Amino acid sequence: MQWTLQYEETWLHRLNPAFKLVFFLSLFLTLLFVHNPNVMSNLTFVPFILVLFATGHRRIVIALLLIPFLLLFFSSASSMMFFGQGSTTWWRWGIVHITEESFFRGLHIGFRALNFALLGLLFALTTRPVFLFYSLIQQLKVPPRFAYSFMAAVRILPVMVEEFQQLRAALLIRGVKKKKGLRRVTQSIMLYAVPLLSQSIRRAHRIAVAMEAKQFNNKERTYYYKQTFSKVDIYFVLYIIAGFCLSYWIGYTFPYFEITDVRN
Amino acid sequence: MKVGVSNLRVKYAGAKTLLFNNLSLQVEEGEKVLFLGPSGCGKSTLLQILSGLIPNAVPVPMKADQVKTPESSGVVFQDPDSQFCMPYVDEEMAFVLENRAIPQPEMKKLICLYLHKVGLSFSDPHVEISSLSQGMKQRLAIASMLALEPDVIFLDEPTALLDPEGTTEVWNTIKQINEKQTMIIVEHKIDEVIHFVDRIVLFDSKGKMIADADPKSVFSFYKPKLKEYGIWYPGVWDEHRKENNLPAPYVKGQQLMVINQLQGYRGKTPKIEVSDAIAHEGEWIVVTGKNGAGKSSFLLSLMNVMKTTGTKSVRGQLKTIKASREQLAFVFQNPEFQFITNSVYDELAYSLEMMDDRNVAEKVKNWLEAYDLHHVQNLHPYQLSTGQKRRLSVGTSLFGDQPVLLLDEPTFGQDASNTFKLLDLFEQLRSKGMLIIMVTHDEMVVQNYATREWVIHEGKLIEDRKLERREEEERYAVDSTI
Repeated sequence: MQWTLQYEETWLHRLNPAFKLVFFLSLFLTLLFVHNPNVMSNLTFVPFILVLFATGHRRIVIALLLIPFLLLFFSSASSMMFFGQGSTTWWRWGIVHITEESFFRGLHIGFRALNFALLGLLFALTTRPVFLFYSLIQQLKVPPRFAYSFMAAVRILPVMVEEFQQLRAALLIRGVKKKKGLRRVTQSIMLYAVPLLSQSIRRAHRIAVAMEAKQFNNKERTYYYKQTFSKVDIYFVLYIIAGFCLSYWIGYTFPYFEITDVRN
Repeated sequence: MKVGVSNLRVKYAGAKTLLFNNLSLQVEEGEKVLFLGPSGCGKSTLLQILSGLIPNAVPVPMKADQVKTPESSGVVFQDPDSQFCMPYVDEEMAFVLENRAIPQPEMKKLICLYLHKVGLSFSDPHVEISSLSQGMKQRLAIASMLALEPDVIFLDEPTALLDPEGTTEVWNTIKQINEKQTMIIVEHKIDEVIHFVDRIVLFDSKGKMIADADPKSVFSFYKPKLKEYGIWYPGVWDEHRKENNLPAPYVKGQQLMVINQLQGYRGKTPKIEVSDAIAHEGEWIVVTGKNGAGKSSFLLSLMNVMKTTGTKSVRGQLKTIKASREQLAFVFQNPEFQFITNSVYDELAYSLEMMDDRNVAEKVKNWLEAYDLHHVQNLHPYQLSTGQKRRLSVGTSLFGDQPVLLLDEPTFGQDASNTFKLLDLFEQLRSKGMLIIMVTHDEMVVQNYATREWVIHEGKLIEDRKLERREEEERYAVDSTI
């Protein structure tokens, strides 16, 4: 079965993975301190443009992946809008109470969630796990034994999905009588977790022994892939900085919303 | 002495007795030694001790006066799917070179060199390991082991989970390795190795060494032991045939299964297409074809687990999983996936209780005896041996009086005695009129048991041939009366 997505390599793939990880984490933090909905909505376009045009994946894949993110946007925005507090009431119906303040706060939260999600997607679509772990070892000095264990674990995942499908077919054929209510949940957990876990634990043990048999140890080692910094990293930082500046400038010069700080 | 132990004692956690009691063994430089014995006799454990994996990587309590392990050892294990930690061929090979601290600029060349040694020549070795066949994966495992430049090579049943084609592929590769290489081999299928090794060490079920000699002597003196231990030795099929007087020739039974324009889909892509086929009672149909040709999809389509179009009928149309289940007994390749209760007894009783059968106790008792599982009826299914698990999974699927038995590679990875036990069980069922449809790679099963072969190629049933063996026998019987 084909598990890997076909894509073309773009400049985003050539970013140093460890740097990308740290940089994205700091972007997440920074976004927490943006309180102007005008700026926040503009900022969403910064990763969105890259996701749309620079990941090297096919359009259809990206379109499919965006569906859950739109849901995320609406669900996080609406829950804040419907039940938040505020003084200027627009609409009230039972426990639903929409105020001007809660509406913009909801919109703001929605954009923030969307921003986080797009950044995460951007990272996931343009980073090969193997390169990330090599980079973590080389740039962030993560001990190789952890990094290689993670790489081995990533390899087990598709096997587990396949096993899950086989198991499902087997259980369908056996004709398991479904229990009702809560007991059905515990029943499914038992039926699926026990065989899948027992297979995975045994497999993990075998892989570990095989790795040791290949003389994997804590001694000095060399690396097949050398992860370095390049101009691309600078371009990326410049793009983000430019994006932030532009978002702030547009946000303050041509505001779409009257509210400039959702905390008030 | 290259490797060896003297007065070795090993004890596994929870075991009451010692696995080895004062075992001593020495292997000289350049020797090729084969360890033989029944499953569970500890030959793999001994191999891991000699390679240094036990106790360094796998902690097992052991004591010995002396253990001499090689300076560097290369080990190949049996499961092609759990030997690699990286997703691509070149990365996996590089992992070994990294461990040896080879400078990065030399790696590419070395990777190609070692891959070439095992006959895997890719123009660019950046190939996904998951896209390789099982035989190729094992050859990759050999290549990465060779990249360690090991003093001694250890092979722990390297072909146990391969089909006959892959087995030959792997042994041909191993035979091309340097003649002077010291090797220690554990293997159950010895057809291919027997002329390759200099020395055979035979163990009994308690881990006691009962023979240590050249292959020829071991063969002439210990053949009954080899048979008892379920080892696939050359000629084992001939003997089995002689002993068992293979069953009565096939007499055409009543029409049982009708397939018309059957197509099975995964998502929207058709995986299998069978335009029309009719099968009769008492037939043993083997479904053959390459890996991924659609053999398993065919069985899953019959069970309605896959989305299908067209029709199939056994005593009426089979349109739902439930209808299929009542007519077709399905035995999965991995028996563990079919188990849903916590004991062998409950496992057999489960489907009966679901159908509100009244004679559960009696029926289950009969089955326990029929499948030779009486003594383990209170164990958890996972605690059974591979042969017992397989028999239990046959038992659980045959709960009603289904007229058709579907089997997905049931003899795969089983030792000789388990395989024969299973085949005899299927033959018994067949002679009572059951229709058996069995996916298999094993040419010997096809030759010796099947009455008919369906060949599947790229998702289509392309050939339906009657197998002559039984009819020939029949003709022979007629001739001899003249």
